[in-house]
Amino acid sequence: MRQDHFIARHEPEWRALSAWLDAAERRKPAPSGSDATCPAAEVPSRFRRLCQQLALARRRGYSPMLIERLGQLVERTHTLMYRPPNPRWWRAIAFIVSEFPAEVRAQRGWMLASALLFFLPFLAMIVAVQVQPELAHSVFDIEQLAQMEHMYDPANDDRIGRDSGTDLMMFGHYIMNNISIGFRSFASGLLVGIGSVLVLVSNGVMIGTVAGHLTGIGYGGPFWRFVVGHSAPELLAIVISGGAGMRLGFALIAPGQLGRVAALLAAGRIGARLILGVFVMLLAAAFIEAFWSSIAALPDVVKYGSGGAIWLTVLVWLGFGGRGRVHAP
Amino acid sequence: MLDTEALHETPEGIALPLRAAGVAPRALAWLVDLGIRAGVFVSLAMPISLLGEAGQGLLLILMFALMWAYPIAFELFMDGQTPGKRIVGLRVVHANGTPVGFTASLIRNLMRTVDALPFGYAFGFASSVIDAQARRLGDLVAGTLVVHADRRHHDQTIPVVPGHVPALSLPADEQALIVAYAERAPQLSEARRIELASLLPVLTQAHGAQAVQRLLGYANHIIGR
Repeated sequence: MRQDHFIARHEPEWRALSAWLDAAERRKPAPSGSDATCPAAEVPSRFRRLCQQLALARRRGYSPMLIERLGQLVERTHTLMYRPPNPRWWRAIAFIVSEFPAEVRAQRGWMLASALLFFLPFLAMIVAVQVQPELAHSVFDIEQLAQMEHMYDPANDDRIGRDSGTDLMMFGHYIMNNISIGFRSFASGLLVGIGSVLVLVSNGVMIGTVAGHLTGIGYGGPFWRFVVGHSAPELLAIVISGGAGMRLGFALIAPGQLGRVAALLAAGRIGARLILGVFVMLLAAAFIEAFWSSIAALPDVVKYGSGGAIWLTVLVWLGFGGRGRVHAP
Repeated sequence: MLDTEALHETPEGIALPLRAAGVAPRALAWLVDLGIRAGVFVSLAMPISLLGEAGQGLLLILMFALMWAYPIAFELFMDGQTPGKRIVGLRVVHANGTPVGFTASLIRNLMRTVDALPFGYAFGFASSVIDAQARRLGDLVAGTLVVHADRRHHDQTIPVVPGHVPALSLPADEQALIVAYAERAPQLSEARRIELASLLPVLTQAHGAQAVQRLLGYANHIIGR
């Protein structure tokens, strides 16, 4: 068939598809004019036909301009056909309730290693600072300690855990800082795991030192009252993102049966799922920390009771969420 | 292997050309995005800071969103293009040429943390220079690729001369060569144009400047002017 005939025969079809693409690329319904009669349901079959027409045009040596034009139509349709689906919010809920905890349990070895890397220095520093209080000065300088002491001064009966600032300001502060730390402790795992290990250990040391120091000088009351509420989601989120980061770094060191890039891809996909859960946990932690933990005028029983309930909820969620359900890979 | 174009075969049996973008256009797109983000932040900072300390909290949340959510949201909802990438003409795609999805976009943007190390995206730069498809570390982990999305418009750069039917019948790839020559012609010196055109004495049946005009005439004929 000559090129002219080929074009004449298929031109209306290409025009219709092109008009449909123009609208769909702007995420609008196709115009229902006379020129553009291409129902959305027909696009896949028209796309396959277009692909065949392009192959024919190439094979028959039609002009480069025609091939270019068809190639662009194919590219545009391909981009739309394989566009990721719009987010479905019930999927997000199902993910948080069951898939994320299941993923955490599937990586339990890494989570355990990560938890040890965080909680061992944490506990060690609490104990060490009781025995040798000067140790606190080798971790923080004197101004930082003074600021910390000011924040948790028992004489401070309005808001605990901050110098000044409203709840909303601190909420923004916690989101910016804590969630960024959570993201970075995962991403820095790409440096053969070293970044994640550093984040875990240094955070364990710093938080342990603060806890030990404040307890040692008798400010333990406000401090523990402050942290008990948000500590479960916050600390466990850092542990999970550190574990995901170490998993990523290990894929680089020991890819196993896979190629190195394939192992990284797999670990990255697992990490992305974990980091989504971490994001939600840190968001919850920031909310609790800003609007609940800071309230000083609550009796101990409420503070520790709610803190214990949150710890229990988080542990039950991570330990049992999605158990017995079959997940799509 | 200087050409960054890779062909990826789709399930429909078509070889989709993926033209990987190098460091320079990507850095440019990043700078444009940086400018947009800074502009949004500064223009919103003034009214929000009137709210006092609560406003500071909102500003921090805004900063978080601009830092982390901005690239992911745009890549997801604008077919792999942040505003900067759209302006420069780039697009993020999966390694198989399909538009980037949420998981891959999340990974590649989180990994900026590592690509930005130790300073000024040095790791990302090194990775892009070494990799044949100019992928930074985040692209490697996410399985993504940044490609040129701009559509080439041949006919616009070809000098307009009267169309001329070639003396010989040319196969498609040779026609494409003639068109490519005509496209490039305005960027070449007169001497170089003549030198290239006189490589084809049999086809043009002419010499010197006339051979150039012949080739341009063929190109105009091929693109249907």
